[in-house]
Amino acid sequence: MEKNKVVKVALVGNPNTGKTSLFNQLTGLNQQVGNYPGITVDKKQGKCKISENLSAEITDLPGTYSINPSTLDETIVLETLLNKNNSSFPDLVVVVAEVENLKRNLLLFSQIKDLQIPTILVINMKDQMQRKGISIDIIKLKEELKSEIILISARKKLGIEDLKGELVNYKNWDTSTIANISDRIDATFFKNLKKEFSGFSLYKSWLLITQKNYCSFLSEAQLNKINKFTSDEALINKYQHKETIYRYQKINEILKKTYIVDKTKATDFRSKLDRILTHKIFGYVIFAFVLLLIFQSIFAWATFPMELIDGFFAKLAVVTNNNLPEGTFSNLISEGVIPGIGGVLIFIPQITILFIFISILEETGYMSRVVFLMDKIMRQFGMGGKSIIPLISGTACAIPAIMASRNISSWRERLITILVIPFTTCSARLPVYTILISIIIPQKYVLGIFNLQGLTLMGLYFLGFTAAILSAVLLNFVLKVKHKSLFAIEMPNYKLPSVKNIFYTVVEKVKAFIYGAGTIILAISIVLWFLASNGLHNFKNAEQIVTEQTSNQTISKEEIHKKIASYKLENSYIGMMGKTIEPVIKPMGYDWKIGIALISSFAAREVFVGALATIYNVESDSTTTTTIKQRMDSEINPITGEKRFNFATGVSLLLFYAFAMQCMGTLAIVKRETKTWKWPILQLTGMSTLAYIISVLSYTFLH
Amino acid sequence: MGDTIASLRIGECGVIENFSLDAIPLKLLEMGCLPGQVVKLEQVAPFKDPLYISVNGSYLAIRIETANKINITKL
Amino acid sequence: MQEILTYIVFAIAVGFLVKKYFFKSKKKGNCDKDCNC
Repeated sequence: MEKNKVVKVALVGNPNTGKTSLFNQLTGLNQQVGNYPGITVDKKQGKCKISENLSAEITDLPGTYSINPSTLDETIVLETLLNKNNSSFPDLVVVVAEVENLKRNLLLFSQIKDLQIPTILVINMKDQMQRKGISIDIIKLKEELKSEIILISARKKLGIEDLKGELVNYKNWDTSTIANISDRIDATFFKNLKKEFSGFSLYKSWLLITQKNYCSFLSEAQLNKINKFTSDEALINKYQHKETIYRYQKINEILKKTYIVDKTKATDFRSKLDRILTHKIFGYVIFAFVLLLIFQSIFAWATFPMELIDGFFAKLAVVTNNNLPEGTFSNLISEGVIPGIGGVLIFIPQITILFIFISILEETGYMSRVVFLMDKIMRQFGMGGKSIIPLISGTACAIPAIMASRNISSWRERLITILVIPFTTCSARLPVYTILISIIIPQKYVLGIFNLQGLTLMGLYFLGFTAAILSAVLLNFVLKVKHKSLFAIEMPNYKLPSVKNIFYTVVEKVKAFIYGAGTIILAISIVLWFLASNGLHNFKNAEQIVTEQTSNQTISKEEIHKKIASYKLENSYIGMMGKTIEPVIKPMGYDWKIGIALISSFAAREVFVGALATIYNVESDSTTTTTIKQRMDSEINPITGEKRFNFATGVSLLLFYAFAMQCMGTLAIVKRETKTWKWPILQLTGMSTLAYIISVLSYTFLH
Repeated sequence: MGDTIASLRIGECGVIENFSLDAIPLKLLEMGCLPGQVVKLEQVAPFKDPLYISVNGSYLAIRIETANKINITKL
Repeated sequence: MQEILTYIVFAIAVGFLVKKYFFKSKKKGNCDKDCNC
């Protein structure tokens, strides 16, 4: 055998089979997330050494019940397995099945096996067999399925080495088909099909016929050939149903000989838990409680590490400033780069906590119960139960949430969900919220246990969610999009969440944030610093102008220094920009400095705090340690003599950030997911107008 | 007759009759909802929609409009 | 010397942002497959 050969392996399986656990076991931290060519669905890949001189490049394909796709996620499985020119077309396929639902899992296995790509069946959760009273005659099953079978337990790391050992032999695997579809459905139809597509396996050509709309890789000539067979849609549809029924018959026959369940061993833990968690009243109470828990913990647990990070970077800036030689570049480091990095890292506690919760909800199987509970309610607003998952993940970040909407099969429900997601309070708003709340809301306790600041934060979450719902109602009335929907979701078994899986999810999301959003925030901080420390004529002669103005006043040297610094900022490029928009934002209660932060946070909300930090840092001499919160709190409005961030301005800012579409990343992703600029532009104008009106109203009212 | 999954009460079972193939989405068949299988109504959400059923070893939630289309014989 | 470094870093940051937003929006034209039905 050649040395250091790489084989491409595709991991396929039903949802909830532990496919991802197996992926994590095989690849460890050796994972990366890329994009499939042309589409934005995350492609999870990892490397794994399977023998001395053979390593595997493993792709974790989205979970699916069948190779016939009904959602966008599932089309990826079809595309990857049918398109030989796809960069991840596999040399071999690992189908992951779960011991308890083997029958349904085998449907997918039989379809993939019939594509005649080398395929192995991995049956997961072998450790559960005894407890559930299941026994399998593996030798016989191997014979019947004409395949290699490995029993594993991905969680307990059992059988992983056996699997690796077997993968090495993939060239010797039997690639004959399981189900002989042609004879059982329509012999002549399939005979013609075989003649027309002589180079393909019969099942592959059949899939091309039934799924031609999903196969973007087909050539004109191939499409013409396909169209000869697809004139009678009803007939094709009927054949598809017949095929599925036939496959199940075949699987039933096989399992009858090889698979025994001792029903007396079955536990009713699941139904007991379901009776509470999906109860007509308790179900909703529990769900509300879970949400409350999530939001309270974000506030309670994240603020402390966030303050640590904030304080650390404030100190670091001073230390570097004192130790580096005097000069522009040193200033850039201590006033631009370091606060910039701090502005990125400050998010990590919140993102970590949110994704820990979201992945626990998904891992345990509770999320499906929420979908079940919420479906009817969400339909009143033109969405569906599945919209709950994107809406909840929207509390982390709208971008993955919009991508998560891909498993909603109705386009109309999906579109409405995508359009309203940006209203949910994403983690980028959190630093803005937390800092403003800590300035304008007193640290008090209500009823002895509820932190008033925490309650305010929860109120903002609630506000975002209400805005999402109300706009969904509006869209539901206005949108004329054709509506075809099938709702069928699996209610998986309850499982204890795997610490390892949660850890990998969190690491993946945090990494994605640092590389994706983090680099942008850092770059914007640098640009901002540059624009704040350069300017035209007035900026360059600031010292002279201020000295002249104050020549007949008696003020201390320190005072003059301060005056020069703020005069410089006012006349820097960024100051000029801020001054230009000041008339527009004045009714909202903001000055030009907040205006600068507003402009720069158009790209991403989280930049707001960092931008203010940069502005105030440039203005002050950075020899003393002040955190951004202290600086904001001590900022004075020169006209009224009051605090700049008083209650009215604070509330107006909170509301602005609650409603405004300040996120270029989201706009880009909406464009990509909806394939037109129409929807992102509608979001941008609609949300910005709403935010402006509400901020102006609230400021006028409170002032 | 004319019973469908929607006419089951919680805990009741029925056998799925031969249904007209084009009325039922393929996805349901693929998830194990096949003629001849026993279906049990496990739980319902308020207003009996959606319905939480178990069939052929799978646990599924389906909407009432789908449930109305699947004829059964009560057991 | 310090000023030159500053300008270089500034140019890199601007270049990065331009690439991130403008280059990407060009690429977006690629996905033309209608997959929403």
